[in-house]
Amino acid sequence: MWSIIQSVLAALIGVQKDRKRQQDFASEKPLGFIVAAILVTLIFVLILILVANIAAG
Amino acid sequence: MRSLWQWLLPTCVIAGANQAQANGWNMPVGVTDISRDIYGLHMTIFWVCVAIGLLVFGVMFYSLFRYRHSKGAKAAEFHEHTSVEVLWTAIPVLILVGMAVPATATLKNMYDTSEADLDVMIIGQQWRWRYEYLGEDVAFNSNMSTPWEQIRGEAARGEHYLLEVDEPLVLPINRKIRFLMTSDDVIHSWWVPDLAVKQDTIPGFINENWVQINEPGIYRGQCAELCGVNHGFMPIVVHAVEEDEFEIWLAERKEAAEQEAMGVDREWELDELMARGEPVYRAICASCHQAEGQGAPPAFPALANNAQLIDDLDWHIDRIVNGVSGTAMPAFRSTLNPVEIAAVVTYTRNAWGGDTGDAVQPASIAEKIVQ
Repeated sequence: MWSIIQSVLAALIGVQKDRKRQQDFASEKPLGFIVAAILVTLIFVLILILVANIAAG
Repeated sequence: MRSLWQWLLPTCVIAGANQAQANGWNMPVGVTDISRDIYGLHMTIFWVCVAIGLLVFGVMFYSLFRYRHSKGAKAAEFHEHTSVEVLWTAIPVLILVGMAVPATATLKNMYDTSEADLDVMIIGQQWRWRYEYLGEDVAFNSNMSTPWEQIRGEAARGEHYLLEVDEPLVLPINRKIRFLMTSDDVIHSWWVPDLAVKQDTIPGFINENWVQINEPGIYRGQCAELCGVNHGFMPIVVHAVEEDEFEIWLAERKEAAEQEAMGVDREWELDELMARGEPVYRAICASCHQAEGQGAPPAFPALANNAQLIDDLDWHIDRIVNGVSGTAMPAFRSTLNPVEIAAVVTYTRNAWGGDTGDAVQPASIAEKIVQ
């Protein structure tokens, strides 16, 4: 679980260890990554909205 | 050698920046708090970029030189270095956020048009600006006043070539002035660098902006959105004056507007209509229909010796009041007042050998505008 989130966060900034990448691609099911990526993206967007509201307020 | 460079490089950079300011290569500091904020941001970000550039290219050229092939340098072969990659991702993020914080504060201030002391409507038209002081019954057109002889190269260029107008926008200093900006025809852009205002005027939309000018003076600008053949001939001149001087000016303009309104109902002589019509023709019509009414067919028809115009007065008035759809001829019903329209119709029917003798009365034009 933590491993998947870490990989998604790494993808968000575009930096990943090669060893970790190979380990991720050894996994058979992509569903975990997809769900985690959507959630992390949503959280990121919500943070941006929050920051924009604080700045505008 | 190293100490020489340490001294020489910053000196050259700062001298260069000062030179750029003196020569007008850099943006002006301006005369409003916001223009100064924007200038400060611009310079801060400029120096950040200079520092990054010097650092990156310094390291790069040093490495190229120090570890060159002829000295037997061998490439380090490794695939990744996660901590360095994280570092060079994080540093730009921090720099960008650091620049975004003051920039956002300035942007917020720029968009805060609330609690203005004076509202001025700015309307772009092909090819002039119209200014309306809302709630003050003062409105006028601001036309370029550079003579066409200068543009055609038949006379020496004046000091403010293409940057001079017949009626400048007069504004008081130390007061918050809100601009409501729109256009009657195509997209224009009202740009005065010293006020740090460059705002598109878009037909059907009203954009807002504001200024509070700190220093009296004359500030010049231009249309900054390509808007047709005379785009280069619709300059902006702002006269910023002391507040009491502005009140006197505004009172004079109001009185003149009242006088003009009273003039609509009285009977006008042919001579006075001709005298009034000529400057209107020069300011408004001559840029397309040419100084002697010869026009520039097929886009701009001739007015001199135009049989239809001479035969049909109603048709002639209708062209000016309502414009001609699908052509460059705009409707002047809201740009010119009835006296001006009557005068310019009279002028075009009697100048250049037309001699119809028609003295078109402002009252009759006023009726047509109401229709």
